[in-house]
Amino acid sequence: MTGQRKIGVFICHCGGNISDVVDVKAVREFAEKEDDVAIATDVRFMCANEGQERLQKEIREKGLDGVVVACCTPKMYEDLFRAKAAEAGMNPYLLEIANIREQCSYAHRHEPDKATAKAKRIVKGQVEKVRRLKPLEVKTAAIQPGVAVIGGGIAGIHASILLANLGHKVTLIEKSPTIGGNMARSVKTFPTDDCAMCTLSPKMNEVYNHPNVELLTYAEVKEAKRSPGKWTLTVEKKPRYVTDACIGCDRCTERCPVSTAKSPIQVDSEWDQGLAKRKAIYLPFPQALPQIWTIDPDHCFYFLKNGACRVCSMVCPAKAIDFAMKPETATVEVGAVIVATGYREYDPTPLAHYAYGRHPDVVTQMQFARMLDPMGPTKGEAVRRSTGKPADTIAMVQCVGSRGAPGDPNVHEYCSRVCCMVAVKHAQLIKKARPETEVYILYNDLRAYGKGFEEYYARSMELGVKYIRGLPGTVTPDGGKVLVDVDDMLTGRRLRIPADLVVLSAALEPNPVEGLLASLHLDRTADGFVKEYHAKINPTETAVKGVFVAGCAQGPKDITDTIAQAGAAAMSAAVFLGSGQMTLNPLVAEVDPALCRACDRCTEVCEFDAVHVDPDSLVAVIDETACTGCGKCGVVCPTGAISVRQFTKPQILASIDALAPMAVVP
Amino acid sequence: MTFEPQVLAFCCNWCGYSAADQAGVAKLEYPAGVNIVRLMCTGMMDPYYVLRAFERGFDGVMVVGCHIGSCHYKSGNLQARDEMARVTTVLRALGLGEGRLVMDAASASEGSRFATLANEFVEKMRRLGPSPLREVVAR
Repeated sequence: MTGQRKIGVFICHCGGNISDVVDVKAVREFAEKEDDVAIATDVRFMCANEGQERLQKEIREKGLDGVVVACCTPKMYEDLFRAKAAEAGMNPYLLEIANIREQCSYAHRHEPDKATAKAKRIVKGQVEKVRRLKPLEVKTAAIQPGVAVIGGGIAGIHASILLANLGHKVTLIEKSPTIGGNMARSVKTFPTDDCAMCTLSPKMNEVYNHPNVELLTYAEVKEAKRSPGKWTLTVEKKPRYVTDACIGCDRCTERCPVSTAKSPIQVDSEWDQGLAKRKAIYLPFPQALPQIWTIDPDHCFYFLKNGACRVCSMVCPAKAIDFAMKPETATVEVGAVIVATGYREYDPTPLAHYAYGRHPDVVTQMQFARMLDPMGPTKGEAVRRSTGKPADTIAMVQCVGSRGAPGDPNVHEYCSRVCCMVAVKHAQLIKKARPETEVYILYNDLRAYGKGFEEYYARSMELGVKYIRGLPGTVTPDGGKVLVDVDDMLTGRRLRIPADLVVLSAALEPNPVEGLLASLHLDRTADGFVKEYHAKINPTETAVKGVFVAGCAQGPKDITDTIAQAGAAAMSAAVFLGSGQMTLNPLVAEVDPALCRACDRCTEVCEFDAVHVDPDSLVAVIDETACTGCGKCGVVCPTGAISVRQFTKPQILASIDALAPMAVVP
Repeated sequence: MTFEPQVLAFCCNWCGYSAADQAGVAKLEYPAGVNIVRLMCTGMMDPYYVLRAFERGFDGVMVVGCHIGSCHYKSGNLQARDEMARVTTVLRALGLGEGRLVMDAASASEGSRFATLANEFVEKMRRLGPSPLREVVAR
């Protein structure tokens, strides 16, 4: 085999870090005699210019087609040395690092002889590996311009505006008839008590009117297909049965018979969280965008009774009603996708002891927010739903559906992060509007962790909000009241609060978008939220190239954090798109078509949908954009047809043999 | 001559290998008879590599990956665990069944864990004595 290759071995002294322990000269003399080694040399610092110049000089002059750099861990300079080798004209994937610092001179610094012997084995192992390496072609794929943002809440809106301002074409896709998301419902925002709509509405308008944003509302991503550098989204646009000729006069809604007093069909308003009814033709809320009404065919007499009712169509001055409208399919081709599918409020019905769903005076914080909206179903007043009279005593219960016992299927184990401050906010709003109201917050731990939160919490106490440490055991409707029984953990007393209204601070849970996530090959963490690439240092990226995540889709967070993360996701997407092309990692699986029997074992174990058997050729085909190079497929392949480049069996076996006790003659 | 166990440690790039680096940086020592092969993931750990290592005279084989649930590739370490369990039955039949193959985990920050694993494993091999296959191979 000798004479087939010209390998250079460069041994670094690391300024003594290596050479004080390992006899570098002995290693060099050993390496010189190895098969295919054309030159072995030692250098004071490979990471300094002298080392890299030497590397390039030898590659050029000796025409090296393989290099082993014996130095520190490959995590330090493997990329640098490969780049330098490439500059000098050698295929960068023919260079390997022999780690003789961290895993030799450092770890065995009191045993120089043994360390030197081990360094020889390590070098030999890598020389043997390099002898079997093949040059790899670095493939690139052009990244399709454009980005799709899925979800039109504050996260999606903010990310869209930033990307559009940078000149990217943005397609913002929202499932419901309007953008705005949960923030639009929130009335006021903590800890500043800004009017939510006053801060959100300008951003809604900006994204709606932005020349670089195409807005698809009432539209759902049905499928996402991946090809190198491109995502192709199939988006289904649901029919509104109202054309964009709509002038927003509201006459149709006024005349629609659904949800009127006598109507057999009553529809709960999604916007008002079931505290009010809505018509079958409606605008979700006054500031909704686009300002185009929508007919809900599931509750419309026209659709339910064979065209019996056409009132809206008759009163519409713009002739905007079109009952014949059909679903449309749009194809969106983009390079990047931002998932901003947000959260929904947990339904506390399974927690029977809280009586939610059994008594009208037990509501959730989101419902309560609607009450506190001056435009809302109770015109801004906290009232008892049972009587319509003002609620004089209000008990808020924290951690409903959050921070539950591990394994309890009815609740979530995580903290929803925002509910403490939502309760503090709502309690203050009531105390300010109607100071005589008694407001209790029953909590487990009060988490006022954010900027200005502690002060906000303190202010609520000054306003007279009463905090009781303890969660109620039972909430029992009794006569005109709802009795809340709680053990006050700080005083040891058992309290019974005769409340007029009980407000449950229900958990935030991810919107049910499993199908979308599966289509995008995204994982979820155990709590059901989208799994980020790294929880600490890559919270906006995902394991899927070109797919980013923002807002509550990734985990519960408040509006401040959502905006910050949406900005970060936009930046990550912009950097990705701006690079224009993506480099495909060549260290991925490869199939030898001659050996493949199309048994599907590889497709069964692949976690990344990166391999499939081509039905025509009956050979496994690797999707190189999806393959991560983990090599599971290579182990289960019965014929050895599939293996990860530079980690093939012959290459690894050569390293094993070289490291073996009997291989090295000292 | 005292017996110095020779051990082959297959380490995944993200956890085991990084932990070994970390051990070195922290100047934690373990015997020089521990030799490391870098794999991208323990998921590419073929049972045959274990057999080959023993065939070439190693006294023990370690596979050090990520902790369960932390695999960089989702489930490579789970596959490795199953494969290593399978090959263990073969090792037993060969008379190498006294724990000469171990699969464990050390995260990238657990340098001390790696050093401890390596030291304990070498000690165990020292107690067990040379691999019985060494003699066979030598013949």
